[in-house]
Amino acid sequence: MKTDELITMISNQAGPAPKVSVANRLVPAGVVGGLIAAAIVLGVLGLIPGEMLSEPGPWIKIGYASTLTIAAGWLFTRLGKPGASDKQATSAVVGVVLLMLMAGVLSYLGTPASERAAALLGHSWLVCPWAILGLSLPVMAGSFWAMRGFAPTKLISAGTACGLFSGSVAALAYALACTEPAAPFIAVWYTLGIALCGVLGAALGPKLLRW
Amino acid sequence: MTLPSEPNTVPPQDDFELSLKPLWMRAQGGDSAAYREALSKIAQRLRRFYSRRLQALPDEVEDLVQETLLALHMQRGTYDETLPVSSWVFAIARHKLVDLWRRRGRRDNLNDSLDDMTEDQHPATQEELPSKRDLGVLLEQLPELQRQAILLTKIEGLSMIEASERSGVSVAALKVQVHRGLKQLAALVRSET
Repeated sequence: MKTDELITMISNQAGPAPKVSVANRLVPAGVVGGLIAAAIVLGVLGLIPGEMLSEPGPWIKIGYASTLTIAAGWLFTRLGKPGASDKQATSAVVGVVLLMLMAGVLSYLGTPASERAAALLGHSWLVCPWAILGLSLPVMAGSFWAMRGFAPTKLISAGTACGLFSGSVAALAYALACTEPAAPFIAVWYTLGIALCGVLGAALGPKLLRW
Repeated sequence: MTLPSEPNTVPPQDDFELSLKPLWMRAQGGDSAAYREALSKIAQRLRRFYSRRLQALPDEVEDLVQETLLALHMQRGTYDETLPVSSWVFAIARHKLVDLWRRRGRRDNLNDSLDDMTEDQHPATQEELPSKRDLGVLLEQLPELQRQAILLTKIEGLSMIEASERSGVSVAALKVQVHRGLKQLAALVRSET
């Protein structure tokens, strides 16, 4: 076939370009996956006691996880569009994580030596990262579906963005039930959980996102 | 603050971009004639881009041009109008080239110049070489509904409404069949290369 024939065929009655947007892909994936994760976490562990809401702990988690959700969502949109630079969005993700790590270090240094181990390990450091990884799976499925509606050309990075987004939403859901109050705990174990999701996403990217 | 430099884009202000962008924006809005012209310009560039990078495989050039044109069409909703059209086109073109090498197991070639050199620096435009494919044969491999929808709207050029009256299929269903048919066609073309 002549390429000209193909061009005629493609352009004939082509109509306007369809709108591919985060709003009709990633947002529903995040909301539905996040609600499933929240339902699981509330069903299994239950909501944190009301008096904790007057402490900073839950708000640090919610602030960290939701800021990272937005940054990872931004990274997602950049990696879904061919030719778009992802540098600024990557810096945003890294920046949010670094801020949390710095807050964790400062809080750790300000904690009396006898309480430091408790501030770092809490009572659930072995559970937290794995819980976030497990809770991320519904959002992970949704965000890969969402990414397949875009046109990623860097498949490992695009998979990582899907994973980080899923991990951040899962961390937000987990914060509803997590009773750990200390910033060092959040900085280490929440971050590790979200990073695990990023690694899983990176591994799945080249397999699931090829086109 | 200056924006970080962008390694993956063709400089936005070359002649190609300047002449392509207005056409492309009209095409995105639904102007078929502009779309046709834009795709023809892009095809010429792609031919140059690929013939330079597939010197050992000249037979693949036109096939890959066609595969890429179909991919551009299927993905045209992902074009971000704040970016140069050429950045978007060549990001997809590179992706298709890497995909071809990957399928052929020619990983060693990935070190080659997958770079941002201006397409103007390339030698004169290559003539179009015949493609091994036959559009009719490809269309015959599609499911009946998809094939019919493509024949009526994309080959005969009927409007969706005319095609709907002719075939008795609703406009909405026709659009879906055309989309699926082209997607399937793109997959067939890809599996052939």
